[in-house]
Amino acid sequence: MKQFRMSYPTSVEQTLRVLAATPPAGDVRVIAGGQDLLGEMKDHLAEPDHLVNLARVEALRGLRWAASGELEIGAMTTLAAIAGDAGVRASLPLLAEAVESVATPQIRQQGTIGGNLCQRPRCWYYRHEKAPCFKKGGSECFAFTGMSKYNAILGGGPSYIVHPSDVAPALVASDATLTLRGPGDGAAAVRTLPVQEFFTLPFEADVTKENVLRPGEIVTAIGVPDRRGWRGTYLEVRERQSFDFALAAVALALRMEGERIAAARLVLGGVAPVPWRCAAAEALLAGRRVDDETCRLAGEEALRGAAPLDHNAYKVPMTKGLITKALRQLARLE
Amino acid sequence: MSERASERARGAEALTWGDPAARTFAGQDSPRVDGPLKVTGRARYTHDVRLPGMLYGAILPCPYPKARPALDLAPARALAGVVAAIELDESRDGGWTTYLGQPIAAVAAKTPELAADAIRAIGVEYELGDWCADRAQALAEGAEPVSSSGNAFVEDAQGDRAAVEAALAACDAVVEATYTMPVQVHACMETHGAVVDYRGGDEAIVYASTQGTNSVPGPAARALGLAAGKVTAIVEHMGGGFGSKLRFGVAGLAACRLAREAGAPVHLMLDRSDEFLCTGNRSGSHQVLKGGATADGKLQALLSTVQNLGGIGRGSHPGHPFIYEPAVSFHQPGYVLTHTDAAVPMRAPGHPQASFAIESMMDELANALRLDPLEFRKQNVSSEVYRRQLDRAAREIGWAEHPNRRGPPAPSVRPEKAVGIGFGLARWGGGGRPGARVTVRIASDGSVTASAGSQDLGTGTRTYLAGIVAEELGLPLAAVEARLGDSRYGPAGASGGSTTTPSLAPAVKDAARRARDAFFAHLAPILGTRAERLRARDGAILAAEDGAKRLGWREACATLAAGEIAVTGEFQAELADSGTHGAQAAKVEVDTLTGEVRVLKMVAVQDCGLAVNTLAARSQIQGGMIGALSYGLLEERVIDPWLGLAMNASFVDYKVAGIKDVAELVAILDDDPRERVIGIGEPPAIPGHAAIANAIFNACGARVRDLPLTPDKVLTALAALG
Repeated sequence: MKQFRMSYPTSVEQTLRVLAATPPAGDVRVIAGGQDLLGEMKDHLAEPDHLVNLARVEALRGLRWAASGELEIGAMTTLAAIAGDAGVRASLPLLAEAVESVATPQIRQQGTIGGNLCQRPRCWYYRHEKAPCFKKGGSECFAFTGMSKYNAILGGGPSYIVHPSDVAPALVASDATLTLRGPGDGAAAVRTLPVQEFFTLPFEADVTKENVLRPGEIVTAIGVPDRRGWRGTYLEVRERQSFDFALAAVALALRMEGERIAAARLVLGGVAPVPWRCAAAEALLAGRRVDDETCRLAGEEALRGAAPLDHNAYKVPMTKGLITKALRQLARLE
Repeated sequence: MSERASERARGAEALTWGDPAARTFAGQDSPRVDGPLKVTGRARYTHDVRLPGMLYGAILPCPYPKARPALDLAPARALAGVVAAIELDESRDGGWTTYLGQPIAAVAAKTPELAADAIRAIGVEYELGDWCADRAQALAEGAEPVSSSGNAFVEDAQGDRAAVEAALAACDAVVEATYTMPVQVHACMETHGAVVDYRGGDEAIVYASTQGTNSVPGPAARALGLAAGKVTAIVEHMGGGFGSKLRFGVAGLAACRLAREAGAPVHLMLDRSDEFLCTGNRSGSHQVLKGGATADGKLQALLSTVQNLGGIGRGSHPGHPFIYEPAVSFHQPGYVLTHTDAAVPMRAPGHPQASFAIESMMDELANALRLDPLEFRKQNVSSEVYRRQLDRAAREIGWAEHPNRRGPPAPSVRPEKAVGIGFGLARWGGGGRPGARVTVRIASDGSVTASAGSQDLGTGTRTYLAGIVAEELGLPLAAVEARLGDSRYGPAGASGGSTTTPSLAPAVKDAARRARDAFFAHLAPILGTRAERLRARDGAILAAEDGAKRLGWREACATLAAGEIAVTGEFQAELADSGTHGAQAAKVEVDTLTGEVRVLKMVAVQDCGLAVNTLAARSQIQGGMIGALSYGLLEERVIDPWLGLAMNASFVDYKVAGIKDVAELVAILDDDPRERVIGIGEPPAIPGHAAIANAIFNACGARVRDLPLTPDKVLTALAALG
């Protein structure tokens, strides 16, 4: 492994100063729990000269509940801490289920929510050093004509990765926001945006990136609004139960009025390069009862425009199946 | 007649495993003696060996199926701490590699990290050849020949094709289908490798992760340039082999070459990703079967064409008809070569592949005739043992209460969560063979040791080595120290084909009996009785006719003033047997909305003669079921044929079942009247995945003919039903 230097700042400000001070030639990377970055370094996909380790930035850790019912989660909070929080379990089951779906207990103990949102794609072409794909600065997506079982059916092109995060779709479906801090002082250095806007499609922006994070900028917090009145669930299909990435996932949140859906949030995982919000399906669901017809229509609407590659057409019926299961499950709740 | 046999014929009592009621070890549950060492981490595996001045080795595997690498080792040699860097080019024809993952260079350095850096530092330009990375490429017109005789090989056919065709024409149901299986890898917890303790001179000790302690010294001596007999092999504990560690292998040979070059000990255990590429595999399989049956449930005819997909090897297949007995059959064996590493034995070579095809075919025929698949199976096997075992498995899995005994529900009434049950049968020969030597020593301080040059590949060999001796000498298990995994302990076969226990346990029994007899001969005059009147029981030696003539074990041993008793034992054919059956059932739940399969329960009913340790035997059966579940649901080595790159050479992307994937497992040792030892490694690994595939069909009507049985394939099969 390439030799690197590691800094341990103790505050956000110090972190940003270290990042700003690194000469542009040096490849500097922020390391949180390291559960993805260390694998990338061992596989020689990332070879930074300098790691800025956030482990000692206490301000980035922990869950803070506001009296108004909003939750702020520090970016360095471990997934295990979030899943184990009684408040999250009681009032944000959608988030709790998504966090518990991530990897293994060991990885959730070390991995952080900020790191989970910033993790790189799992596409096996991206992960193979000898396949120079778009994501590594190459000029081809090998999955497009190759072995595409695990790749995108929505929003793909020119790269067909899927975003691997389980947590991201749940946050989007919870109307959550992200706070980013960059260099400088004052309001310009802080950006707060809906989680959905953090992620970028390959053709929208730099194809080698998955999000809008700028050089020198870090994720500091996730804000989850009060979800009283909503019910939600996160369902996914994985090949291996013990630990695996999702073949397809659904984050669904419903606000019910009696037997009818008043409002819905439907976000797909594992099928697109970003957490895939299904606005048209959400609109369709509003005002409807959950019955077979509603499930069918929501599935059709959510997967409208799906363009499978050679080996992933199964994701269309699978995702529709998940939407049906999620709708039925939430309708059964009191 | 051997000397020993004739000796016995002269009047010594016949050697048997003894009266079951009087036994204290054989045929009973015994926790393994090295269990505490293993769970506390004190067991020393080859990976754990550390020697003074030891270097760490690593290899560079060629990442492409066929290439001509031009290597520059100078940058690796220039790194401080790198002691040796060598090119591995012995088996390269004109410089061309022949398989993806073929090692092309090796280094030795002062730390494992430095060794990895040195591998990265090697300058290498790959001239890419035309390659055949999969069956389709190998069979394409104008394909690059993998061997000088081409890529597709057809071996001698068996049977009368015309008779089969005629019989098929007269059948009430005929099913023709293609069954395919990908390459599976062994995925041993401990990777392949060795620690070679050589510092110049004319002797070496080789610590190896191997299934054959005595298979190491020969090839290691040749690689080190030493005389045969000057190399000692040590295998204290080893972390899994499953057939992949029968030979010394590329990692061990590279370690020898590096040690010779450096004149220092070298520790070379493969990196996990290298392990996936160059240590062998279970061959993939492409099988076309056409079977016919009559409405009375009789399998009349079977036509089979098999292609093993074993890389540059021929792969394995036992041939059809497998287990079930059609009136007529025609079998065409063959294999297709590709530029990937050679298949090697893997737990019941070829049998799980044959099982998946024939068990699926049997199920398809039963369904075509609307017959109960359990009864259809029972009707088409000749052995009563199979019928008994199938009935037992059916009872344990709840077949009689199951609503889908005549097939899956129609799509219109299919539940969202569909439950199904499937069956499969096993068959294995195995058996014992001569060659192993076991030594038992009784010392004057009361200690007893049993030693053999065999190895415990995780099956409990060490435990029965002590246990059989303890039983014979009337001692508790803990009173006997078992020593194995050292070539100085004498000859013993490699552990493969379920032969270890039937070969070794009889030799242990023979050595134990000889030690007892020698001890009795020594004690008889002291106790004032005849040797044949003596008994060893509960830690004492006593005369049968007079309980007062008695010595405690330590007292008795203290009379061995002249030293110890040391005797050797050999294989005794009357203590071993061969030939096993085995029936398994699986119960699954299929989510018909998403294609997910959960295996709820698996049952195995397995005969194996006399189980020397019933706890270890059931553990072996469970391991076989888990392996088959993993093969059935998850495992598949993936190579992109166009890029020629291995896509999933890691435990993230090559999916092996974990604890949450494993079902409730019920392992039942069948009531086998044979009071002889038979191995049990292979048979329980044969039919589990086939039973799962049949259970999926039985649940929901989705017939998946290609392993692994992943949700995408289940959904596709369901969609085809409407």
